[in-house]
Amino acid sequence: MKIHILGGATTKFGELWGVSPRDLAREAMSQALLHSSMKPKDIDAIFVGNMLSGILGNQANLGSLIAEELGVFVPAIRVEAACASGGLALHTAINGIRSGQYKNVLVVGIEKMTDHSSDDVTTGLMAAGSDDERSAGATFPGLYALIARAYMQEYGVTEEDLAGVSVKNHYHGSLNVKAQFQSPITVADVMKSSRIADPLKLLDCSPISDGAAAVVITGENPKKWHKKPIAISASEVASDTLSLHKRSSFTSLSAVVKAAKQAYAVAGIASKDVDVAEIHDCFSIAEAIGTEDLGFSKKGMGAKDIAAGKFTLGIGKLVTNPSGGLKACGHPVGATGIKQIVELSEQLRGTAGKRQVEKARIGLAHNVGGSGTLAVIHILSTL
Amino acid sequence: MSTTPVKLWRRQKHTTTLIGKKGKILLWTMIRVPAKAFAPQAPYPVVIVELSSGVRMMGQLVDWQEKDLVVGRIVTAVIRRSRVEDTEEVLSYQIKFKPL
Repeated sequence: MKIHILGGATTKFGELWGVSPRDLAREAMSQALLHSSMKPKDIDAIFVGNMLSGILGNQANLGSLIAEELGVFVPAIRVEAACASGGLALHTAINGIRSGQYKNVLVVGIEKMTDHSSDDVTTGLMAAGSDDERSAGATFPGLYALIARAYMQEYGVTEEDLAGVSVKNHYHGSLNVKAQFQSPITVADVMKSSRIADPLKLLDCSPISDGAAAVVITGENPKKWHKKPIAISASEVASDTLSLHKRSSFTSLSAVVKAAKQAYAVAGIASKDVDVAEIHDCFSIAEAIGTEDLGFSKKGMGAKDIAAGKFTLGIGKLVTNPSGGLKACGHPVGATGIKQIVELSEQLRGTAGKRQVEKARIGLAHNVGGSGTLAVIHILSTL
Repeated sequence: MSTTPVKLWRRQKHTTTLIGKKGKILLWTMIRVPAKAFAPQAPYPVVIVELSSGVRMMGQLVDWQEKDLVVGRIVTAVIRRSRVEDTEEVLSYQIKFKPL
């Protein structure tokens, strides 16, 4: 069965003190429906990607909250997989259509983080780790710092090489009006930013953000609703150990390798066929390794290729994170996976404006939970 | 994160078997922005250690100096006060690593 993306929308990402989670969800959903020429009553089910509302917002019944906002009382299912909650919500929604139960499904990703102190957010995010990691006093930047250390040791990569990831993504973010940070930065800016967990510095890390994103997908004839629907060619998920220290490798995420391999096979393409990709750059090191695990760079060359401009808009044949990625566009955890899909849909429709990747026909979204505990890969294509 | 008596009781059955075990540092980082319960200890190193049995563990490094922050450094498992507890919570102790 062919499943298609109709309309999609992302709210502004950032420190949005003036808006509530309900405001965010309502804006993203109503825009997504509008772009799909649909009314709420045309929706058969809602899937919500979110990580922290139970921990930070004391709201653990999010499906109904979203249904109440939309005003339609269809099945409403909240999906959580840490930072991959959005991607996994889409995957689950796709399976809901494949099962024959639903035809038109709304998928919403949402997170409201800046109402809370960074202490509380740091502690809340560690709910995505294991008990061993929490008792050791590890933080998420700390876990990725350990990965960065292993990667730098094994491949002779420098902190300056890794900084290139943030420089590229801030340049792309400067072209995105929805991005949290729209100012370019330099390698020197990254190097002199404060240390968070050595060797990672503040500008290696994605920010704490508020935001929502929504897409409508359908198993029906998509042309009934949208002039330029986008096909979902693959939706694959794989998982790994919850604890980082139980992995056999620290320089590759096996969940990503496995899900990507499967996704390429299902879509009938190879990594070289991808024109535009949204890569989960929660930390600079995550994009360096992701670029390799997806087959875009050789092992050990990810950070160096990115720093050399190989995936920068206007230079590379393949462009990665044209939205600005998690680093510059922002990382409202549950919204990220859906924002990636909205960005790729705009790129494939040719409506991405200043950050349009030329002749983009195949897009890939790489959404990773925890320290690589679960990976969701989606491949999208023009009809 | 809470340290209820029952959680501590469950964990200590395993913890006590690890005291005195030796291993080497595989990876280390310095946590400068900690989770709330560890705030008074920051900055502190967190390490992944490979015990001589081949088992890998994550833990805090204690009693350290700059020169100990190297891959391959031999460490031993010790039991130490864990973190900041709420006023009414049981005091928690756990495995940390110390340079040998």
